[in-house]
Amino acid sequence: MPLWLRIPLLLALLIGGYFGLFALLGVALERYFLLMGFGPERAASAGAAMALGAEITLKLTLISSLAGLVIGVFAGMFRLSRRLWVQLPASFYIWVTRGTPLLVQILFAYNALPLLLQPLWPAAQQVLTPYWAAFIALSFNVGAYNAEVVRAGIQAIPKGQWEAAWSLGLTPADTMRFVILPQALRIVVPPLVNNVVALLKDSSLASVIALTELALSGQRIISATFRPVEVYLAVAAIYLLLTTILTFFTNLLEKRLQVATR
Amino acid sequence: MGLAQVRTLDQIKRSGEIRIGTEGEFPPFNYFDQKNQLTGFEIDLGNALAKRLGLKPVWITQAFDSLLIQLNQGRFDFVIASHGITEERAKAVDFTNPHYCTGGVIVSKRGGPKTAKDLQGKVVGVQIGTTYMEAAQKIPGIKQVRTYQKDPDALQDLLAGRLDAWITDRFVAKEAIKERKLENTLQVGELVFQERVAMAVAKGNKSLLQALNQALADLMKDGTYAQISKQWFGEDVRCK
Repeated sequence: MPLWLRIPLLLALLIGGYFGLFALLGVALERYFLLMGFGPERAASAGAAMALGAEITLKLTLISSLAGLVIGVFAGMFRLSRRLWVQLPASFYIWVTRGTPLLVQILFAYNALPLLLQPLWPAAQQVLTPYWAAFIALSFNVGAYNAEVVRAGIQAIPKGQWEAAWSLGLTPADTMRFVILPQALRIVVPPLVNNVVALLKDSSLASVIALTELALSGQRIISATFRPVEVYLAVAAIYLLLTTILTFFTNLLEKRLQVATR
Repeated sequence: MGLAQVRTLDQIKRSGEIRIGTEGEFPPFNYFDQKNQLTGFEIDLGNALAKRLGLKPVWITQAFDSLLIQLNQGRFDFVIASHGITEERAKAVDFTNPHYCTGGVIVSKRGGPKTAKDLQGKVVGVQIGTTYMEAAQKIPGIKQVRTYQKDPDALQDLLAGRLDAWITDRFVAKEAIKERKLENTLQVGELVFQERVAMAVAKGNKSLLQALNQALADLMKDGTYAQISKQWFGEDVRCK
């Protein structure tokens, strides 16, 4: 198949699969809740609410991990810089983010950040909805962990590569861009994937700021039905399903990026 | 922090919308119903109050333990989420006149403790951050008070036999027993304490406080309140 046909086809398949997954999930959940003795109307609404929560969880994880990847690559490179004014802020950011719990960071992004930003940006409180506050906290959190992964990847490239590139007349920046990073990024794919899977599960902490993702949509159903066992079982199963799907795709990616000589 | 953007009644009226904070996990007062819509006694009452003030209600749900903090930060104009009036809370926010009265009851398995006296040497479960927690801690002779994030978690441990009793709001207990059809398993014991429940506005927001009190009094007088209350509880729950 030619490339111009393959790419749109693949995209359509992905988008169709995405919506199909959550529609199917809603139906499956409804069946499950019916089986567990929920009333028909409650089962339908609980299924729909949890499917929506699952979609929010996945979407939040995907955009946060993309932003976290960009943050991580830059913070990881900056951390290795010899210029102190580049290196110190990156080290400081990684130190603070890895040294504080994500739960605190999420609460901070939602409850404290708008107040701190208010003098500069009066609309902060309206703009930083639970969704965007969670996005900021999650992407900066995973960014710090990614930064350390990227740093380790860069340091894993043998010194001879640098020397060879320099002897060919490449500038340090060009060496980084064209020689070191492409190799390092391949090495770091598995640990980066690990961070994304961890992020998907950690996103459940956003329930504390009343973001109706999967965990909170489950809790809401529990408060109305007083049935924690049935609902938490379903919540856990959906997390497992989402992480499984995520690792399926990232495994494909890993295979494609594998270096032939290794 | 002194940066709070608390809106006065004039500012609210100019915007045409009143932002109301609630928890959304406390049936039958405020919760998400079978159609996943925010509903309950307090939601109906809040909507009626907004209508009385000529404003459009905008509902915002937040975790119970952060509602009063965010109220003072101006995230919403007032909170209606079954807050029992306590001295400590009254230091942080201003309470309206109570919009209903209730009490904490002892719930246990049939044959279990029914009165505060029966609780001697027993393990009791409560929801964290609530007035029931404070009340349970004051009952003398209790072996242990366990705190739970949510009432359903406490109920689950009671059913599992890990708790001797669960102390909660009497209407919540009724709703839980009805919803899970536990009439033959559980019993509702005596009222451990009485409680006046009110809405809250940010500290010092006098214009809004007066307007809410006036609107509440009007609804109680013209029969709207009684009608909403009967619909949810089959009785008038205003403080006598």
